[in-house]
Amino acid sequence: MSTATSGTLDAKRSPMWSLGHGHDAISTRTLGFWLYMLSDAMMFTALFAAYTVLGHAVNAAGGPWATTVAHPEVAFKETVWLFSSVLAYGFAMIALKKGHRGGVMLGITAALLIALGFLSVDIHEILHLFRMGATPERSGYLSAFFTLVFYHGLHVVVGIAWMLVMLVQVAFKGLSERVVYRLLNLRLFWHFQAVMWVFMFTFLYLRGAIV
Amino acid sequence: MTHTTDKAWQHPEVQLAGGGYIVAYLAGLALMGLSLWIVHEHALAPMDTGMAISLVAGLAALVQCILLLHLSISETQIWHTVTLILFIPLFILTIGLTSWMFHGLYRRTMLMPVAHVSAPAAHAQASDFARNSK
Repeated sequence: MSTATSGTLDAKRSPMWSLGHGHDAISTRTLGFWLYMLSDAMMFTALFAAYTVLGHAVNAAGGPWATTVAHPEVAFKETVWLFSSVLAYGFAMIALKKGHRGGVMLGITAALLIALGFLSVDIHEILHLFRMGATPERSGYLSAFFTLVFYHGLHVVVGIAWMLVMLVQVAFKGLSERVVYRLLNLRLFWHFQAVMWVFMFTFLYLRGAIV
Repeated sequence: MTHTTDKAWQHPEVQLAGGGYIVAYLAGLALMGLSLWIVHEHALAPMDTGMAISLVAGLAALVQCILLLHLSISETQIWHTVTLILFIPLFILTIGLTSWMFHGLYRRTMLMPVAHVSAPAAHAQASDFARNSK
Protein backbone atom coordinates (compact mmCIF):
# COMPACT_ATOMS: atom_id res chain seq x y z
CA MET A 1 0.00 0.00 0.00
CA SER A 2 1.33 3.42 -0.88
CA THR A 3 1.78 6.11 1.72
CA ALA A 4 -0.91 8.24 0.09
CA THR A 5 -3.55 5.56 0.51
CA SER A 6 -2.43 4.54 3.98
CA GLY A 7 -2.79 8.16 5.10
CA THR A 8 0.69 8.39 6.63
CA LEU A 9 3.94 9.69 5.30
CA ASP A 10 6.90 7.42 5.70
CA ALA A 11 9.52 9.26 7.76
CA LYS A 12 11.83 6.29 8.19
CA ARG A 13 12.60 5.46 4.56
CA SER A 14 14.10 8.43 2.79
CA PRO A 15 13.80 9.46 0.03
CA MET A 16 10.73 7.48 -1.00
CA TRP A 17 11.03 8.19 -4.73
CA SER A 18 14.36 6.34 -4.75
CA LEU A 19 12.42 3.22 -3.79
CA GLY A 20 10.12 3.54 -6.76
CA HIS A 21 7.01 4.75 -4.92
CA GLY A 22 4.84 7.11 -6.91
CA HIS A 23 2.97 8.69 -4.00
CA ASP A 24 5.58 10.35 -1.84
CA ALA A 25 4.97 13.63 -0.03
CA ILE A 26 6.04 15.84 -2.94
CA SER A 27 4.04 13.90 -5.56
CA THR A 28 0.92 13.90 -3.38
CA ARG A 29 1.10 17.65 -2.90
CA THR A 30 1.75 18.46 -6.55
CA LEU A 31 -1.12 16.20 -7.63
CA GLY A 32 -3.40 17.94 -5.13
CA PHE A 33 -2.36 21.33 -6.45
CA TRP A 34 -2.80 20.14 -10.03
CA LEU A 35 -6.41 19.21 -9.22
CA TYR A 36 -6.87 22.70 -7.80
CA MET A 37 -5.48 24.15 -11.05
CA LEU A 38 -8.02 22.15 -13.03
CA SER A 39 -10.83 23.59 -10.87
CA ASP A 40 -9.36 27.01 -11.63
CA ALA A 41 -9.44 26.05 -15.31
CA MET A 42 -13.18 25.36 -14.87
CA MET A 43 -13.53 28.97 -13.71
CA PHE A 44 -11.86 30.05 -16.94
CA THR A 45 -14.19 27.70 -18.83
CA ALA A 46 -17.26 29.31 -17.25
CA LEU A 47 -15.95 32.76 -18.12
CA PHE A 48 -15.20 31.70 -21.71
CA ALA A 49 -18.75 30.30 -21.93
CA ALA A 50 -20.15 33.61 -20.68
CA TYR A 51 -17.98 35.48 -23.18
CA THR A 52 -19.20 33.25 -26.01
CA VAL A 53 -22.80 34.05 -25.12
CA LEU A 54 -22.26 37.76 -24.53
CA GLY A 55 -20.04 38.06 -27.59
CA HIS A 56 -23.17 38.45 -29.73
CA ALA A 57 -23.50 41.90 -31.29
CA VAL A 58 -26.81 42.43 -29.46
CA ASN A 59 -24.90 42.54 -26.16
CA ALA A 60 -22.70 45.42 -27.28
CA ALA A 61 -25.74 47.65 -26.55
CA GLY A 62 -24.73 49.99 -29.35
CA GLY A 63 -21.30 50.50 -27.83
CA PRO A 64 -17.84 49.28 -28.76
CA TRP A 65 -17.65 45.65 -29.77
CA ALA A 66 -14.92 43.06 -30.27
CA THR A 67 -13.57 44.64 -33.45
CA THR A 68 -12.71 47.87 -31.62
CA VAL A 69 -11.57 46.68 -28.17
CA ALA A 70 -9.57 43.58 -29.15
CA HIS A 71 -6.11 44.58 -30.37
CA PRO A 72 -4.28 41.42 -31.53
CA GLU A 73 -0.93 43.19 -32.03
CA VAL A 74 -0.86 44.42 -28.43
CA ALA A 75 -2.00 40.98 -27.25
CA PHE A 76 0.88 39.40 -29.18
CA LYS A 77 3.32 41.65 -27.29
CA GLU A 78 1.75 40.35 -24.08
CA THR A 79 2.19 36.80 -25.44
CA VAL A 80 5.92 37.40 -25.88
CA TRP A 81 6.22 38.81 -22.34
CA LEU A 82 4.27 35.99 -20.71
CA PHE A 83 5.91 33.15 -22.63
CA SER A 84 9.34 34.66 -21.87
CA SER A 85 8.50 34.76 -18.17
CA VAL A 86 7.39 31.13 -18.33
CA LEU A 87 10.67 30.24 -20.05
CA ALA A 88 12.66 32.08 -17.35
CA TYR A 89 10.83 30.10 -14.67
CA GLY A 90 11.68 26.96 -16.67
CA PHE A 91 15.36 27.92 -16.37
CA ALA A 92 14.85 28.20 -12.62
CA MET A 93 13.51 24.63 -12.68
CA ILE A 94 16.53 23.44 -14.66
CA ALA A 95 18.77 25.04 -12.02
CA LEU A 96 16.70 23.31 -9.33
CA LYS A 97 17.22 20.00 -11.11
CA LYS A 98 20.98 20.48 -10.60
CA GLY A 99 20.56 21.74 -7.04
CA HIS A 100 21.86 25.24 -7.89
CA ARG A 101 20.27 27.58 -5.42
CA GLY A 102 21.67 30.73 -7.06
CA GLY A 103 20.38 29.63 -10.46
CA VAL A 104 16.93 29.06 -9.01
CA MET A 105 16.87 32.56 -7.55
CA LEU A 106 18.16 34.09 -10.77
CA GLY A 107 15.52 32.30 -12.85
CA ILE A 108 12.70 33.31 -10.53
CA THR A 109 13.90 36.93 -10.45
CA ALA A 110 13.98 37.04 -14.26
CA ALA A 111 10.53 35.45 -14.48
CA LEU A 112 9.20 37.98 -11.98
CA LEU A 113 10.63 41.00 -13.79
CA ILE A 114 9.40 39.82 -17.18
CA ALA A 115 5.96 39.15 -15.67
CA LEU A 116 5.94 42.78 -14.51
CA GLY A 117 6.52 43.72 -18.16
CA PHE A 118 3.46 41.69 -19.14
CA LEU A 119 1.44 43.36 -16.44
CA SER A 120 2.51 46.86 -17.50
CA VAL A 121 1.38 46.24 -21.11
CA ASP A 122 -1.88 44.73 -19.82
CA ILE A 123 -2.63 47.67 -17.52
CA HIS A 124 -1.68 50.21 -20.20
CA GLU A 125 -4.10 48.57 -22.64
CA ILE A 126 -6.92 48.45 -20.08
CA LEU A 127 -6.45 52.11 -19.14
CA HIS A 128 -6.42 53.03 -22.83
CA LEU A 129 -9.79 51.31 -23.31
CA PHE A 130 -11.19 52.97 -20.17
CA ARG A 131 -10.16 56.41 -21.40
CA MET A 132 -12.04 55.72 -24.64
CA GLY A 133 -15.20 54.90 -22.71
CA ALA A 134 -14.98 51.12 -23.04
CA THR A 135 -15.62 50.23 -19.41
CA PRO A 136 -17.03 46.99 -17.96
CA GLU A 137 -20.38 48.55 -17.08
CA ARG A 138 -20.89 49.89 -20.63
CA SER A 139 -22.39 46.65 -21.97
CA GLY A 140 -22.76 42.93 -21.38
CA TYR A 141 -20.11 42.27 -23.98
CA LEU A 142 -17.57 44.53 -22.26
CA SER A 143 -18.41 43.01 -18.85
CA ALA A 144 -17.53 39.56 -20.17
CA PHE A 145 -14.43 40.85 -21.98
CA PHE A 146 -13.00 42.67 -18.97
CA THR A 147 -13.91 39.89 -16.54
CA LEU A 148 -11.71 37.49 -18.52
CA VAL A 149 -8.92 40.06 -18.83
CA PHE A 150 -9.05 40.90 -15.10
CA TYR A 151 -9.26 37.25 -14.07
CA HIS A 152 -6.15 36.36 -16.04
CA GLY A 153 -4.40 39.52 -14.82
CA LEU A 154 -5.21 38.54 -11.24
CA HIS A 155 -3.46 35.23 -11.81
CA VAL A 156 -0.36 37.06 -13.01
CA VAL A 157 -0.42 39.28 -9.91
CA VAL A 158 -0.75 36.20 -7.67
CA GLY A 159 2.10 34.53 -9.57
CA ILE A 160 4.35 37.56 -9.05
CA ALA A 161 3.54 37.66 -5.31
CA TRP A 162 4.18 33.92 -5.05
CA MET A 163 7.56 34.32 -6.80
CA LEU A 164 8.52 37.01 -4.28
CA VAL A 165 7.62 34.66 -1.43
CA MET A 166 9.60 31.81 -2.99
CA LEU A 167 12.64 34.05 -3.49
CA VAL A 168 12.66 34.72 0.25
CA GLN A 169 12.11 31.04 1.08
CA VAL A 170 14.87 29.81 -1.24
CA ALA A 171 17.23 32.45 0.19
CA PHE A 172 16.58 31.60 3.84
CA LYS A 173 15.52 27.93 3.82
CA GLY A 174 17.50 26.60 0.86
CA LEU A 175 16.20 23.76 -1.32
CA SER A 176 14.43 21.85 1.44
CA GLU A 177 11.55 19.49 0.68
CA ARG A 178 8.95 22.12 1.64
CA VAL A 179 10.56 24.69 -0.64
CA VAL A 180 10.94 22.20 -3.51
CA TYR A 181 7.28 21.15 -3.59
CA ARG A 182 6.23 24.80 -3.43
CA LEU A 183 8.54 25.56 -6.35
CA LEU A 184 6.97 22.66 -8.25
CA ASN A 185 3.48 23.94 -7.47
CA LEU A 186 4.46 27.42 -8.62
CA ARG A 187 5.79 25.83 -11.82
CA LEU A 188 2.39 24.21 -12.39
CA PHE A 189 0.63 27.49 -11.66
CA TRP A 190 2.90 29.65 -13.82
CA HIS A 191 3.16 27.30 -16.77
CA PHE A 192 -0.60 26.81 -16.68
CA GLN A 193 -0.99 30.56 -17.22
CA ALA A 194 0.79 30.15 -20.57
CA VAL A 195 -1.72 27.47 -21.60
CA MET A 196 -4.64 29.69 -20.55
CA TRP A 197 -3.13 32.63 -22.40
CA VAL A 198 -3.17 30.62 -25.64
CA PHE A 199 -6.97 30.50 -25.34
CA MET A 200 -7.20 34.13 -24.21
CA PHE A 201 -5.12 35.31 -27.17
CA THR A 202 -7.02 33.17 -29.66
CA PHE A 203 -10.62 33.50 -28.53
CA LEU A 204 -10.60 36.96 -26.97
CA TYR A 205 -8.23 38.93 -29.16
CA LEU A 206 -7.90 37.11 -32.50
CA ARG A 207 -11.54 36.04 -32.80
CA GLY A 208 -12.50 39.54 -31.73
CA ALA A 209 -10.65 40.89 -34.75
CA ILE A 210 -12.48 38.65 -37.23
CA VAL A 211 -16.09 38.88 -36.04
CA MET B 1 4.89 17.66 7.05
CA THR B 2 6.64 14.78 8.65
CA HIS B 3 8.81 13.64 5.76
CA THR B 4 11.99 15.51 5.00
CA THR B 5 15.06 14.85 2.94
CA ASP B 6 18.24 16.76 2.24
CA LYS B 7 18.14 16.27 -1.52
CA ALA B 8 14.53 16.96 -2.37
CA TRP B 9 15.62 18.47 -5.69
CA GLN B 10 16.46 14.94 -6.85
CA HIS B 11 12.74 14.13 -6.89
CA PRO B 12 11.56 12.70 -10.26
CA GLU B 13 9.18 15.63 -10.86
CA VAL B 14 12.06 18.08 -10.52
CA GLN B 15 14.21 15.96 -12.80
CA LEU B 16 11.61 16.32 -15.58
CA ALA B 17 12.87 19.88 -16.24
CA GLY B 18 14.91 20.24 -19.41
CA GLY B 19 15.41 21.71 -22.84
CA GLY B 20 11.77 21.14 -23.73
CA TYR B 21 11.05 24.57 -22.22
CA ILE B 22 12.95 26.31 -25.03
CA VAL B 23 11.14 24.24 -27.67
CA ALA B 24 7.80 25.06 -26.02
CA TYR B 25 8.70 28.76 -26.00
CA LEU B 26 9.69 28.85 -29.65
CA ALA B 27 6.78 26.67 -30.78
CA GLY B 28 4.30 28.72 -28.73
CA LEU B 29 5.49 32.01 -30.21
CA ALA B 30 5.60 30.58 -33.74
CA LEU B 31 2.07 29.17 -33.50
CA MET B 32 0.62 32.34 -31.97
CA GLY B 33 2.46 34.34 -34.64
CA LEU B 34 0.92 32.10 -37.30
CA SER B 35 -2.57 32.73 -35.90
CA LEU B 36 -1.91 36.47 -35.85
CA TRP B 37 -0.72 36.31 -39.48
CA ILE B 38 -3.82 34.36 -40.57
CA VAL B 39 -6.08 36.98 -38.99
CA HIS B 40 -4.03 39.94 -40.17
CA GLU B 41 -3.72 38.89 -43.78
CA HIS B 42 -7.35 37.73 -44.07
CA ALA B 43 -5.89 34.66 -45.75
CA LEU B 44 -9.11 32.68 -45.23
CA ALA B 45 -12.85 33.27 -45.08
CA PRO B 46 -14.01 34.38 -41.59
CA MET B 47 -15.49 30.96 -40.74
CA ASP B 48 -12.36 29.17 -41.95
CA THR B 49 -10.17 31.66 -40.09
CA GLY B 50 -12.03 30.85 -36.87
CA MET B 51 -11.51 27.14 -37.44
CA ALA B 52 -7.84 27.57 -38.36
CA ILE B 53 -6.90 29.64 -35.32
CA SER B 54 -8.85 27.25 -33.07
CA LEU B 55 -6.82 24.34 -34.43
CA VAL B 56 -3.57 26.26 -33.98
CA ALA B 57 -4.58 27.10 -30.39
CA GLY B 58 -5.30 23.43 -29.72
CA LEU B 59 -1.91 22.47 -31.12
CA ALA B 60 -0.12 25.15 -29.07
CA ALA B 61 -1.92 24.02 -25.90
CA LEU B 62 -0.98 20.40 -26.62
CA VAL B 63 2.69 21.32 -27.12
CA GLN B 64 2.69 23.28 -23.86
CA CYS B 65 0.94 20.50 -21.94
CA ILE B 66 3.60 18.01 -23.06
CA LEU B 67 6.70 20.20 -22.84
CA LEU B 68 5.84 22.64 -20.03
CA LEU B 69 3.51 20.62 -17.83
CA HIS B 70 5.31 17.34 -18.64
CA LEU B 71 2.09 15.40 -19.18
CA SER B 72 2.84 11.82 -20.15
CA ILE B 73 1.93 8.27 -19.21
CA SER B 74 5.05 7.80 -17.08
CA GLU B 75 4.54 6.64 -13.49
CA THR B 76 5.37 10.12 -12.21
CA GLN B 77 2.87 11.98 -14.39
CA ILE B 78 0.13 9.49 -15.24
CA TRP B 79 -2.49 10.95 -12.88
CA HIS B 80 -1.79 14.51 -13.96
CA THR B 81 -2.41 13.36 -17.53
CA VAL B 82 -5.54 11.33 -16.74
CA THR B 83 -7.15 14.21 -14.86
CA LEU B 84 -6.43 16.65 -17.69
CA ILE B 85 -7.87 14.25 -20.29
CA LEU B 86 -10.99 13.89 -18.14
CA PHE B 87 -11.16 17.68 -17.85
CA ILE B 88 -11.18 18.28 -21.62
CA PRO B 89 -14.76 16.96 -22.22
CA LEU B 90 -15.95 19.16 -19.33
CA PHE B 91 -14.26 22.16 -20.97
CA ILE B 92 -15.88 21.48 -24.34
CA LEU B 93 -19.30 20.58 -22.90
CA THR B 94 -19.47 23.64 -20.66
CA ILE B 95 -18.75 26.07 -23.48
CA GLY B 96 -20.64 24.08 -26.13
CA LEU B 97 -23.83 23.54 -24.11
CA THR B 98 -23.90 27.13 -22.87
CA SER B 99 -23.53 28.43 -26.42
CA TRP B 100 -26.20 26.04 -27.69
CA MET B 101 -28.68 26.98 -24.94
CA PHE B 102 -28.27 30.69 -25.46
CA HIS B 103 -28.33 30.35 -29.23
CA GLY B 104 -31.81 28.86 -28.84
CA LEU B 105 -32.79 31.44 -26.26
CA TYR B 106 -31.69 34.32 -28.48
CA ARG B 107 -33.77 32.98 -31.37
CA ARG B 108 -36.87 32.69 -29.20
CA THR B 109 -36.61 35.79 -27.03
CA MET B 110 -34.39 38.36 -28.74
CA LEU B 111 -35.89 40.14 -31.70
CA MET B 112 -33.10 39.18 -34.05
CA PRO B 113 -34.41 41.17 -37.06
CA VAL B 114 -34.21 44.24 -34.83
CA ALA B 115 -30.72 43.18 -33.87
CA HIS B 116 -29.77 42.99 -37.52
CA VAL B 117 -31.35 46.34 -38.19
CA SER B 118 -29.53 47.83 -35.23
CA ALA B 119 -26.24 46.26 -36.25
CA PRO B 120 -25.36 49.17 -38.57
CA ALA B 121 -26.16 51.56 -35.73
CA ALA B 122 -23.88 49.58 -33.44
CA HIS B 123 -21.25 49.59 -36.15
CA ALA B 124 -21.58 53.34 -36.53
CA GLN B 125 -21.13 53.85 -32.79
CA ALA B 126 -18.19 51.47 -32.81
CA SER B 127 -16.67 53.48 -35.64
CA ASP B 128 -17.08 56.66 -33.57
CA PHE B 129 -15.32 54.86 -30.73
CA ALA B 130 -12.50 53.83 -33.05
CA ARG B 131 -12.15 57.42 -34.31
CA ASN B 132 -12.05 58.77 -30.76
CA SER B 133 -9.42 56.23 -29.78
CA LYS B 134 -6.99 57.55 -32.39
